[in-house]
Amino acid sequence: MQKLIKNLFDAQRKHFRKGGKLERLYAFFESMETVFFAPARVTQLVPHIRDHLDVKRYMASVVFMLLPLLLFGMYNVGYQAYAAKQLNPGHFWIFWFGFKTVLPLVIVSYVVGFAWEILFSAIRGHEISEGLFVTAMLFPLTLPPTTPLWQAALGISFGVVIGKEVFGGTGRNFLNPALTGRAFLYFAYPSQMSGDAVWTALVNFKAGAVDVVSAATPLVVAAEAKVHGAVEQVLADAGYTFNTLFFGLYPASIGASSAFLCLIAAIVLMILGIASYRIILGDILGILVMGFIVNLTAGESSAAYLSLNPFYHLIIGGAAFGIVFMSTDPVSAPDLHISRWIYGFLVGVLTVVIRVFNPAYPEGIMLAILFMNVFAPLLDHMVISIRLRNRIPNV
Amino acid sequence: MENLISLFVNSVFVGNILLAYFLGMCSYLAVSKNLKTSSGLGVAVIFVMSITTPVNWMVYHYLLAPGALAWAGLPDVDLGYLKLVLFIAVIAGLVQAVEMIIDRYSQALYNSLGVFLPLITVNCAILGASLFMVERQYSFTESVVYGVGSGAGWALAIIAMSTIMQKLRYADVPEGLEGFGIRMIVTGLMAMAFMLFSGITL
Repeated sequence: MQKLIKNLFDAQRKHFRKGGKLERLYAFFESMETVFFAPARVTQLVPHIRDHLDVKRYMASVVFMLLPLLLFGMYNVGYQAYAAKQLNPGHFWIFWFGFKTVLPLVIVSYVVGFAWEILFSAIRGHEISEGLFVTAMLFPLTLPPTTPLWQAALGISFGVVIGKEVFGGTGRNFLNPALTGRAFLYFAYPSQMSGDAVWTALVNFKAGAVDVVSAATPLVVAAEAKVHGAVEQVLADAGYTFNTLFFGLYPASIGASSAFLCLIAAIVLMILGIASYRIILGDILGILVMGFIVNLTAGESSAAYLSLNPFYHLIIGGAAFGIVFMSTDPVSAPDLHISRWIYGFLVGVLTVVIRVFNPAYPEGIMLAILFMNVFAPLLDHMVISIRLRNRIPNV
Repeated sequence: MENLISLFVNSVFVGNILLAYFLGMCSYLAVSKNLKTSSGLGVAVIFVMSITTPVNWMVYHYLLAPGALAWAGLPDVDLGYLKLVLFIAVIAGLVQAVEMIIDRYSQALYNSLGVFLPLITVNCAILGASLFMVERQYSFTESVVYGVGSGAGWALAIIAMSTIMQKLRYADVPEGLEGFGIRMIVTGLMAMAFMLFSGITL
């Protein structure tokens, strides 16, 4: 089998080499070949590191950890759709409906993303960067299940082209491309990206029957809770108990609802050293600390949301997903250990601040990460200059 | 007091004069290449803005506003239409005066601000802050806080921008987008991230 694939690539290689008729698509050929085989190139100068964990395997392990979230998201989309009609047709049909709804979004995201990537690599002569595998998988998971396909295409185009390719491709951008595309869609089409009605895809029994189910997401329920000190109870009354929220069976973005699966992914990625544990722990710490602080400031006159148990902030909405997969993006996060702690901490703090104090956005993690991406280079710079100042001159 | 703190936070983050109102773009785009110069310009803008905004407040409220000349026995005179011209003149004059004073008394600060101090005369963020101050009917203390806050917001934006440009040293920007093009794109993306705060009512 391995031989067969190798022969296939070896036979086609000549067309893509310099002077071949498909010379311009060499980057595409190369990217397909490295899916199966480690690249044969070696670095010209020291240091040489012998490791099979190249960028592609590195990114692939993130995509691998996203797959359970995707599958669970499909099940959840179906579950919410049938629950809205008070039906329970069995696990298979629930999953099948979600599969039908979500798969086109994922396919559109990959096809459009790759089309831009191939176009840029063919014209500009750079390699097809592996970051796209992750970006194109992350992006649909952050969308509401009712997103029209053309909007998904537009969002991933903006994310890939403006968020990444104009800077020269993966590793050179300064914002997370998937989040850039998501935020662009959020501001460009607020009515399809927010509100109560977009989080549940619907099972259509009669063709053409337009039906909207508006189900308030846990974030909205918590924000509108009136009973001081008992927001958890209000959530539970709305059907969002701690367990529901932790395991993720509630209306939300396709793949971002399950804190449980995010936790597993976080542990695996931290052990493998792919996600920075400093950022993840900093995020969690930031959310908890800020959660406790708003708890303390909560008086009888202030909004009941302030008194929400800080641990709930970790499990509702997209916080867990953002922490594990978005804020740890090695390109847009800072590079130094201390600045990673600060960066993570501030992402957590801003997330809670936006959720609690900004009525314009129910979820804060998306813009909090983008905002801290903007300041990541500044954090690095400050840490370096403090270190240089404290260094004992060696004369 | 609470009101002043929220006005400060508001003018630094929520209504950032550069990233929410897009004022002062020209010097921002021209000088954001290098961190040292951009932080110098940022400090100069904070400095000048926190002086010109309250001074313009006094100019407006004792000379230009309808009925402001009552102290001179002219209660019916309304010179409000002169505010644009006079504000520019006040800013230009003040920048010159400030420059001379700093030159005389603090050579170190003068050297570190360098050419940026006179450049600020033509920075529209300074004029913008004065005009906003009139439009929003701030009191004198509020105009001081607003001046400092807007200057700090502007400085924050240009410093963040220059560190991003440092990170983008390795970027491979397509021909035709190099220079101003990519900086406009970066500014747009930064403004999108700053929308984080829009909608917060303090």
